[in-house]
Amino acid sequence: MKQKIIEFIKKISSPLKFIKTEKMGNKQNIIKSVKNIFSPSDSSFKPYDWMIKSTPQQEWIKEKGIFLWLAFFFSEIGAGLYFMSMFFQYRLGLILGWLITLVLGGSVHMLYLGNPKRFWRILTNISSSELARGMWVILVFAILGFFQIFTAKFNPFLNCMLGIICILIIMHGFATMNVIKALPSWNSTMVLPLSIISGIWVGSQIFQFMLSVSGSLASGFEIWSELFLLVYIGLIVFYLWGTFHSSEAAKKSINILLKGELAKGFYIGVIVLGIVVPLFFTLIMWGGNVNAGLIFFRMVFVFAGDLALRYLVMKSAVYQPLI
Amino acid sequence: MPRWGMVIDIKRCIACWGCTIACKEEHFLPPKVFWNRVLIGETGKFPTSRKLIYPVLCNHCDDAACVEVCPTNATFQREDGIVMVDYNKCAGCRACIVSCPYQQRTYYDKNIKDAEYFPGQGKTEFEIIGEKLYPFQVGTVIKCNFCYERVDQGIENGLIPGIDDDASPACVVTCPVGARIFGDLEDPESTVSRLIMEKKGKQLRPEFGTDPAVYYID
Repeated sequence: MKQKIIEFIKKISSPLKFIKTEKMGNKQNIIKSVKNIFSPSDSSFKPYDWMIKSTPQQEWIKEKGIFLWLAFFFSEIGAGLYFMSMFFQYRLGLILGWLITLVLGGSVHMLYLGNPKRFWRILTNISSSELARGMWVILVFAILGFFQIFTAKFNPFLNCMLGIICILIIMHGFATMNVIKALPSWNSTMVLPLSIISGIWVGSQIFQFMLSVSGSLASGFEIWSELFLLVYIGLIVFYLWGTFHSSEAAKKSINILLKGELAKGFYIGVIVLGIVVPLFFTLIMWGGNVNAGLIFFRMVFVFAGDLALRYLVMKSAVYQPLI
Repeated sequence: MPRWGMVIDIKRCIACWGCTIACKEEHFLPPKVFWNRVLIGETGKFPTSRKLIYPVLCNHCDDAACVEVCPTNATFQREDGIVMVDYNKCAGCRACIVSCPYQQRTYYDKNIKDAEYFPGQGKTEFEIIGEKLYPFQVGTVIKCNFCYERVDQGIENGLIPGIDDDASPACVVTCPVGARIFGDLEDPESTVSRLIMEKKGKQLRPEFGTDPAVYYID
């Protein structure tokens, strides 16, 4: 009987022993397990303080979200380059713009998706989804652009169609963001004009560089660059001002950009790289001293500045607290 | 056709997290995923500060932003108002997560799939069974489904959601203080409709125009 009791006690204590020694191991493992459930390093996983203060948008910029930022950038500058090249009937620019939009933009979009094999499904909800509409526009651009590049036809109807499509693709990324009411800094009125001019501005810089390399007269185009740069600067100011005055959450986003954790990136990336340096190169070329080297360096800085601007606009968006 | 909704009495809620745990258990949710949360905040300044306790879940909005932005129709709304995700259609664009003003959706990626409740010790039997019963797909978005299986099964068995426990969401059944009430918002005689009328039920962030099916009373 005594033996049986000892065996019974051993039996019931063995799972506990197992848990203590093998499953949990030691105190550190227990802490690790608890941390795994209520991870204190990342507030997004605390079930009790989620959305009780302004919460930053992360899905479209953190980790794989970076691909979406790059995808929007490539699609838009490709379309911008195509748009400018079409006006000047510059076939090489058309080809490069078409390739950047579809190959670079398209493939980076695929890298972002959780299930890239189902990308075709994105075409199915055209009635209410901005993403679906954008996919259709890109599809039409692929077909019409291919036709124009192959046939080298620049008739007014086709130009007009492709011009509108290019503008829609340039707007696509920011338009997708703009419809999201939950993020007031994206829902701002100034987001779409800013996206159009930034796409055209960056696209035009690639176009001008291609012109200067191919020996064509790039100086004639410089007046457009000066104009685009001025409008670009103006629209950044309007975006900041307009968004700041639109709502509390939007004000918070602009404060994060100008005074908060993203301020360094904004002043170095957008103001210095994207505005001051290109302005400096533009002033050097003001008197007609246009050369490929200067255009190239300006293009590189414009790229960096525009990438920074897009990144920061995506990163600074915050949700209103729920309570 | 009913429109299922919920009323949460924030004066009754004691922040026990019973709903959070019941939900995790019901749906075998992996670590770091919560379909039910209990938010704790503060308002005002000392000496007039007040503690706020808000249990939150998917609001199953009538004019849901997630349904609108979904490019693949993977997020859809049933006739009874429950907003669902068809995992076989979701392409993982996460537009629904970004567009939800209440942030009640989770992207189910490989990190979450591989996460263990006891890191480095392998998955428990509970987790292994859960993966079989709830085969979430990597690269898709998951969210609260108002325990539609319980609701549907209950109706099939002649029960009434909101009245019979077996036909009501797990969080409602488990709430020890009865702070959660489930029922048909379309029926003016239902408990939820009466409470909303009598106690002037409020929706969270109504300014987004989503018309949530979850109301709060105090």
